[in-house]
Amino acid sequence: MSTLATFRESYLWYSFKRDKIAIASLLVLVVLFSSAIFAPLIAPYNPYDPEMIDIMNSEIPPAWEDQGTWEFLLGTDSQGRDMLSTMIYGMRISIIIGLGAVLLQAFLGVLIGLFAGYHGGRLDAIFMRAADVQLSFSYLMVAIFLSAVLQAVVGVSRFGEIAVPFLILVIGFSQWPQYARTVRASVLAERKKEYVEAARVAGFTSSRIILSQIFPNTLSPILVLSTIQVANAVMSEAALSFLGLGMPIDRPSLGSLINSGFEYIFSGAWWITILPGALLVVLVLSINLLGDFLRDVFNPKLYKG
Amino acid sequence: MRKITKILYAILIVLMMAGLVQAKTLKLAMDADPVSLDPHVQLSGGMLQYSHMVFDPLVRWTKETTIEGRLAERWERLDEYTVRFYLKEGVKFHSGNELTADDVIWTVNRLKNSVDFKGIFEPFAVPVKVDKYTVDLVTKVPYPLLLNTATYIFPMDSEFYSGTDDRGMDKGAIVKTDYSFANENLSGTGKYRVVERQQGVKVVFDEFAGYWDKSSPGNVDKIILTPIKNDATRVAALLSGGVDFIMPVPPQDMDRIEKADNVKLVTMSGTRIITLQLNQSRVDAFKDPQVRQAIVYAVNNAGIAEKLMKGRATVGAQNSPKGYLGHNPALTPRYDLDKAKQLMAEAGYAKGFEVSMIAPNNRYVNDEKIAEAAASMLGKIGIKVNLKTMPKAQYWDQFDAQVADIQMIGWHSDTEDTGNFFEFLLMCPNKETGYGQYNSGNYCNPEVDRLTLAVQSETDQAKRIAMMQQMEQIAYDDAAFVPLHWQDLSWAGKENLRIEPIVNVMNFPYFGDLVVD
Amino acid sequence: MIAFVIRRVIQALIVIFIISVIGFAVKQSVGDPVREMTGISVSADELQEFRETLGLNDPWYVQYVRFLGRAIQGDLGNSFFYKRPATEVILEKAPATLELVFVSSLIIIVFSIPLGVFSAIRPNHFLSRILMSGSIVGVSIPVFLTAIMMIYVFSVKLGWLPSFGRGELVMIGGWDSGLLTVDGWRHILMPSIALSSIMLPLFIRLIRAEMMEVLESEYIKFAWAKGLSNRRVWFVHAFKNTLLPVITVGGVQLGVTIAFTILTETVFQWQGLGFMFMEAVERSDSPLLVAYLMFVGIVMVVVNTIVDLIYGLVNPTIRISGASS
Repeated sequence: MSTLATFRESYLWYSFKRDKIAIASLLVLVVLFSSAIFAPLIAPYNPYDPEMIDIMNSEIPPAWEDQGTWEFLLGTDSQGRDMLSTMIYGMRISIIIGLGAVLLQAFLGVLIGLFAGYHGGRLDAIFMRAADVQLSFSYLMVAIFLSAVLQAVVGVSRFGEIAVPFLILVIGFSQWPQYARTVRASVLAERKKEYVEAARVAGFTSSRIILSQIFPNTLSPILVLSTIQVANAVMSEAALSFLGLGMPIDRPSLGSLINSGFEYIFSGAWWITILPGALLVVLVLSINLLGDFLRDVFNPKLYKG
Repeated sequence: MRKITKILYAILIVLMMAGLVQAKTLKLAMDADPVSLDPHVQLSGGMLQYSHMVFDPLVRWTKETTIEGRLAERWERLDEYTVRFYLKEGVKFHSGNELTADDVIWTVNRLKNSVDFKGIFEPFAVPVKVDKYTVDLVTKVPYPLLLNTATYIFPMDSEFYSGTDDRGMDKGAIVKTDYSFANENLSGTGKYRVVERQQGVKVVFDEFAGYWDKSSPGNVDKIILTPIKNDATRVAALLSGGVDFIMPVPPQDMDRIEKADNVKLVTMSGTRIITLQLNQSRVDAFKDPQVRQAIVYAVNNAGIAEKLMKGRATVGAQNSPKGYLGHNPALTPRYDLDKAKQLMAEAGYAKGFEVSMIAPNNRYVNDEKIAEAAASMLGKIGIKVNLKTMPKAQYWDQFDAQVADIQMIGWHSDTEDTGNFFEFLLMCPNKETGYGQYNSGNYCNPEVDRLTLAVQSETDQAKRIAMMQQMEQIAYDDAAFVPLHWQDLSWAGKENLRIEPIVNVMNFPYFGDLVVD
Repeated sequence: MIAFVIRRVIQALIVIFIISVIGFAVKQSVGDPVREMTGISVSADELQEFRETLGLNDPWYVQYVRFLGRAIQGDLGNSFFYKRPATEVILEKAPATLELVFVSSLIIIVFSIPLGVFSAIRPNHFLSRILMSGSIVGVSIPVFLTAIMMIYVFSVKLGWLPSFGRGELVMIGGWDSGLLTVDGWRHILMPSIALSSIMLPLFIRLIRAEMMEVLESEYIKFAWAKGLSNRRVWFVHAFKNTLLPVITVGGVQLGVTIAFTILTETVFQWQGLGFMFMEAVERSDSPLLVAYLMFVGIVMVVVNTIVDLIYGLVNPTIRISGASS
């Protein structure tokens, strides 16, 4: 680690200590992520276990409402599942998809961005035009396309088992240009610098130069972009599930929970849609706030798109 | 300048209000609008609903499930094959032409050529004209359901629909995917004419001045139909006053509508049975009647009806709803989890097994939730279910291909008769005869087949009833399928609408007879 | 300039070709249109025959070649549901979506510019702080949730605004406009606010960030030094330079906006292209699906080109690099 990195770290720590919002959102995120990781230990029920679901318990309001019971702290959904447990497990799915999709995006985008930016020319033009096309097609279209293809491949009845990797693929594939553009922009800036020139003269191969010299310098914009993208991915997943293109109903994510509760919005059973909705907002908000803080600290040149 | 605008606005508003007082306009929201102006382009509830507005049938179902004359003043059965219909005289089509026996014959012939209706009219021969206002409907075999089928005959204006249009095409052609004269033009005998139509957006109906039925109490002279597919949005439209009448009403909102001021809810037991089929060709365990029984015992269909359907459904144990001739009152729902587990153990499947299941998610009321509930109920007797739900457009393909071990299907008998359920859902599947077309359980019992065929041409009512009830009994004992419930029909509207008298079990409110106070 | 446009047109054609292939592949798997068009008791043989007459039994490449042949003549096929040419249906539905996008862009422009500029000029003012945290909250609430909440509050609870549809329309030369009647505006209000709820915070933040950056630049420092008035520096010199990146982002965001129109239109039963698209998916109305995808592709290419042109006009280096590569 160079002295520069240590300096940044200490600066990061310094600003973090002074930023109450950043501290609060990190705390919230730690709580949410750890409850997602330890869902089986924390959740009072296992929403996937049919033994624990009884239709006769359906639509019980949260404990503090009339007819609520402490047995189900946040009430139950239409199937008689405990809302709290279902939400924790749902958030776990949302987070897995969010992180998975961002990893995939980052992998694709960074790779393409590095090589397109470094080599330039025709390769660069093709990739950037592809990025344009890709961005113009929202994840929604990609989702419909891929879900059609995947259903044909794995068969309809097994679709539920591959829903998570499927959504990771969809959201990952549809958002790589964000990374590619950001990374390409930093590569273009770095490429002309003396140390790269020196490395080239010294006879290093281009992939070596890219990976060992240029890549480390693109890390901070990637980090900042990643936080925002995790939030975006979680939102995209919610939108897809809301339109019925996402998680199956017996393995709900936060989005599909909101969707299945939407029908109940006028009937009085508000908790089925509002509670997962609120959790989604809190999750996305704290990621965004943290991302905002990182952006202020690193102040990278992001491609604003 | 601004003053003038204001005055103009004021005049406009006064005029609009005055207009509102005089004309009784009904703003109607349904889940879909008619796909065409041609009543024979598709056989669906929506199209029949539309037909009742702009056409009139020979006879129609009443609220009490009896049959009343409309364009047919009276009728008499001449023999096993023939019923003679006497038409009302002086009935005018929208075009001004008069309704005659020729129109009825023309319409029946067109029905026999329609992809959707030809199945129902298969037993019919060419009708025979007796005189200008008398026509004989003739069947090729003795046919007990002739009158039931006559409810599908909405005489069309044969003169209006004959010849070629300005594109040189036959005006009478039935075209599903392209322009046709009949898709866009209309002349019926019904109370309403279509004056404006934007498909998928709205249809405006206006009263036809020359309408024959002067005795109808109905006083609505304009209907604006808006399709609102989303349940919650449709309810919101009624509650916020955007529309006057909605159908169907989602069960979860019924209580709220009942409690709300100024709107009311009307429900009625329906006749569409929702079932699950257990595919014996895909899963060996399903060949064992004990396993099938265990599944029937494991599914708490009473719980589904009470909780998911909010009590707005009748728990079922057979195909035929109460009121059908074949309804067997001895058959009762059998939810008993312990018994189910015991049956599984006796069949040697104490540890259970894993199966796949598919269901539509926009076809039946709460279909997706019902499937999910049923899947977790089977989980309790050790059957792990992998459930996939999908829109109906994708569903039927998958259903036909029998891609899953358990498949959901709801069925409403087109003839309002028990036999129809068995012909489509429970007879041994046979590609040549077409029987058992929707029997994805591949349940096959020769005795059921024999009885179903015998019932088709049995004109002795008592014998028919006994045979049909026996069919239900056999299917029950064999646990041929998992019966869930008959979903209630539901309508809701503003307080000043007299909804009750116009609704019926067929789910075609007769808007022509609607009184708005 | 001309070379640039020609290159773009060629690129556009390639893009649209790719889209048509993708669209066609999707079409194969969204379901069986024949089942959507027939009653349930129609026999299997009849269904098969009907499929045959529609040419749905041919291998997909045969269907694709046939489609391409007609598409070159401008015929994208008939919508199964509307029983009319798909292009006609799209042109009929487009005004609804364009008006929705127009009004929400209006909302975005009217609010984001003053708010963004203000928070850049006075970054430590308490209003700016509220604005910044508020905008993060705004970005974090999904569009469909905003839409549902608005219906619940303003239509059902308060009864102020209609919950669905476009209201009273006036037809002007083939364009069904809802912007000429009071009723039409009442209907468009909630959907357009819902649609702008994600973009507005993004744009406020973007304008603020760009403006702050510009204010730091030598050029502005020089303007200060010259003794120009605050207003003149802010609104003439700094703001002008802020606009350029904002326009670029605006173009890129259009794709996202189109995705959000699908969500908004679904919730509000707004009879536009997004709503039509979801319905076409549900009905397996495949010709309409393919036509919609191609339409969106064309719109995107056109907008991207215009954005690049504007960018090129203001900043000639872009054009040169675009031409030489």
